[in-house]
Amino acid sequence: MKIRVTINGALYEREAPETINLLHFLREYVGLTGTKEGCGGGECGACTVLLDGHAVNSCLVLAAEVDGKSVRTIEGEADDGQPSALQQAFAKRHAVQCGFCSPGVVMSARALIERNPKPNVEEIKEGLEGNFCRCTGYVQIIEAVLEATGQEASTQERSDA
Amino acid sequence: MLQHFTYLAPKTRAELHSVLANEGAAASLLAGGTDLLVNVRAGLVHPKVVVDTKKVEDFAGIAWSERDGLVIYASATINAVLGDAKIRSDFPLLIACAHDLASHQIRNRATVIGNVVNASPCADMAPALLCLGAHAVISSKRGEREVSFSAFFKGVKRTAVAPDEVVERVVVPAASAGGRGGYYKLKRINGHDLGIVGVALCIDRGGEMRLTVGSCAPTPVLIDGLEASLPADAVVAKVLAAISPISDVRATKEYRSHMVEYYVRRLLDEVRS
Repeated sequence: MKIRVTINGALYEREAPETINLLHFLREYVGLTGTKEGCGGGECGACTVLLDGHAVNSCLVLAAEVDGKSVRTIEGEADDGQPSALQQAFAKRHAVQCGFCSPGVVMSARALIERNPKPNVEEIKEGLEGNFCRCTGYVQIIEAVLEATGQEASTQERSDA
Repeated sequence: MLQHFTYLAPKTRAELHSVLANEGAAASLLAGGTDLLVNVRAGLVHPKVVVDTKKVEDFAGIAWSERDGLVIYASATINAVLGDAKIRSDFPLLIACAHDLASHQIRNRATVIGNVVNASPCADMAPALLCLGAHAVISSKRGEREVSFSAFFKGVKRTAVAPDEVVERVVVPAASAGGRGGYYKLKRINGHDLGIVGVALCIDRGGEMRLTVGSCAPTPVLIDGLEASLPADAVVAKVLAAISPISDVRATKEYRSHMVEYYVRRLLDEVRS
């Protein structure tokens, strides 16, 4: 079936099977491979993208469902090759280790910041609860989001993350 | 790539009813997709037709009126419930249960009705709807009928909904507004995990207390008609007599019973204080 979707501000039109999910549509039919497949079942959050501004697991959305809608992916974060402030905060705070979960974590953080520009630690934990990271232990990720939202990031209890 | 199926997105109730009348059990309804697509991927269901209900006009939104009560339509997501001003002010138990459901991403897609029609014994929205005395409005080409949630769940993953029917909306009676309530779910991690036990408690404005226990029987179990002032020991005894927990990979029946009692006492302390 023909699927028309706006991705990071540009309109894409692709002929794709109606059984394909948004994740594979992005990776295989649009060539945007920044969005990662972790579990493929809505548990890990690696495939998180924004659908009409809301964070969703792209593995649990059919491409057919997003026909006519707007999607934002990790490729939409950088502006003309310059990483966003959020991405820079992740780098500065060492919130990235192997990096596989990072596109999803950044997109969840993006959605969180857009609905709550100054999230506290509890709100950050809740906003990112659908994203697994098996390397960093989350403390640096929380600090990165605090940093990106102009909040003091070094005084947090390191043990309660 | 998922297995083969045809994707349909009817725009009207009549169109949806026709598809269901023709396809019956070969059709799977897709609302949020957070259960269906997982099951399709795992090969647990093999729908010939996947019917997206989100494009059906009149299936969107949440409405409140004194006359009709709180009406949650088929496409309303869990996060829509969490963001609804009337629910936030007058239905604290719905908020508590919605808040405990999965992760933010899932709550953006998953619907209240999808959660209950899947009829998992640990479904988070079932305790709230049971405690609040809600009913489902189910329709098909044959007509429309109402089923109380106390008669809705028929077993693990089984409901009163026939293959040619769809749950269009759930209705929480206006009399349940303004009650007090709370929900506790035992789980290994925050975010998404299947509940080991879940206990909901509400006391309505008329002074009736109701509890619902999840994950301790083939269906969520409602214990209703209790006086709000009933002593805690008597409440615990009634609850434990109503449930039939089993031992499985996630917990033993003894641990489940113990935690149900603990949560009942904790909720009684919190909600009655």
